[in-house]
Amino acid sequence: MTYRESSDQDLVRLSLRGDERAARELVERFQRPVFSLVYRMVRDRELAEDLSQEVFVRTFNNLERYDRSYKFSSWLFKIAYNLTVDHLRRRELQTISVHGSPDAVTADRQEATSVTLESAGERPDEVLEARELAGHMEEAIAVLRPEYRTAILLRHVEGYAYEEIAEVMGIPLGTVKTYIFRARRELRDSLEYVRDELPEG
Amino acid sequence: MKKERSRAGDHLKTEQLEVLALERGRQLPSGAVAHLQECASCGRELGELRRLHSALALLAALGPAAGFTDRVMARVRLPLPLRVRILEVVRAHRLAAAAALAGVIGATAGSLVMQAQYPDLTPMALAVFLLNRSMALMWSGVMAVGRLLYDSGLAAGVEGLIQQLTIGGALLLLATLSLVGLGALRILMRLMDHSTEAARQAVGR
Repeated sequence: MTYRESSDQDLVRLSLRGDERAARELVERFQRPVFSLVYRMVRDRELAEDLSQEVFVRTFNNLERYDRSYKFSSWLFKIAYNLTVDHLRRRELQTISVHGSPDAVTADRQEATSVTLESAGERPDEVLEARELAGHMEEAIAVLRPEYRTAILLRHVEGYAYEEIAEVMGIPLGTVKTYIFRARRELRDSLEYVRDELPEG
Repeated sequence: MKKERSRAGDHLKTEQLEVLALERGRQLPSGAVAHLQECASCGRELGELRRLHSALALLAALGPAAGFTDRVMARVRLPLPLRVRILEVVRAHRLAAAAALAGVIGATAGSLVMQAQYPDLTPMALAVFLLNRSMALMWSGVMAVGRLLYDSGLAAGVEGLIQQLTIGGALLLLATLSLVGLGALRILMRLMDHSTEAARQAVGR
């Protein structure tokens, strides 16, 4: 069985024996979801890269403490969430733009910290429309409270169950439900003006 | 907002609607399906959830810059493989390793000679013989050290000291011995850390 076909748990076991290729595969496997979550929390590409790197470094340097009764991804997201929330608390970073870091003062800096939105559409008009919608969604997500943002992203983008989200965020199940309910309501209100453009699903 | 019971039966729970919105093709109980076909309120809510979910799905494609994995791996300190650890301990303590190797070679050669002289000797009997011999050798050493101490009068001195020792003195002695023991342990741990660090440097981590 190749590394790519191995389960997360097998790769963790190999990493604990010092197998660098197994650790590399885990980084490859989870870098996008971790980066996405962190980026949407801090809205600064460079900062998100630094924090995501730190998430993986902490994860692997503390791999011996990982409790294998939990999913590896839950543990990873828990580290990502705690690290990012700590950073936001320290910096008191309030974020509202998809066009780069709120700290960016020059156009170059804004360019460097912004992120290119991708879309699944193929025709140019579809691509443009999907990009616009993604932009609206990014704006709407950005004004949510960080807790709501994390909960809704883990639920809808990563497909996590409520119990797993509670585990990742270290909060009771009822609170997760409340966060997701409120996040949805706020997103609906924020996107009301583009409601007709939203895909039917 | 609390939903009331409709003519088509109980409204679906948010969790049920969510499952339908997030997991296309998921089966619901027939009663729930029938309700969904009849109830405009639940249909509307499901539509909203699907719309929101689809819009959120547009966000799913962000990734870090190229070379991210290399940058992470350059900072990661994985546990070292056993093979590397053993090799490095051997490299760090060459003299002890050489002595151990000489011991193993000597024991093997001795065993072979014994086997040649006494072909009927089973490996188990040989092992027991060697164990007895080494125990006897060790015991002789201990006895020799004891004799040396006794002859030098040091043992009598220690015995006299213990007889005259007060409770306070005994506690002081115990504390001193504990500190010496802890110090020795610390030095040992430092040596082990040094070996691990040297091994990491050797494999470039």
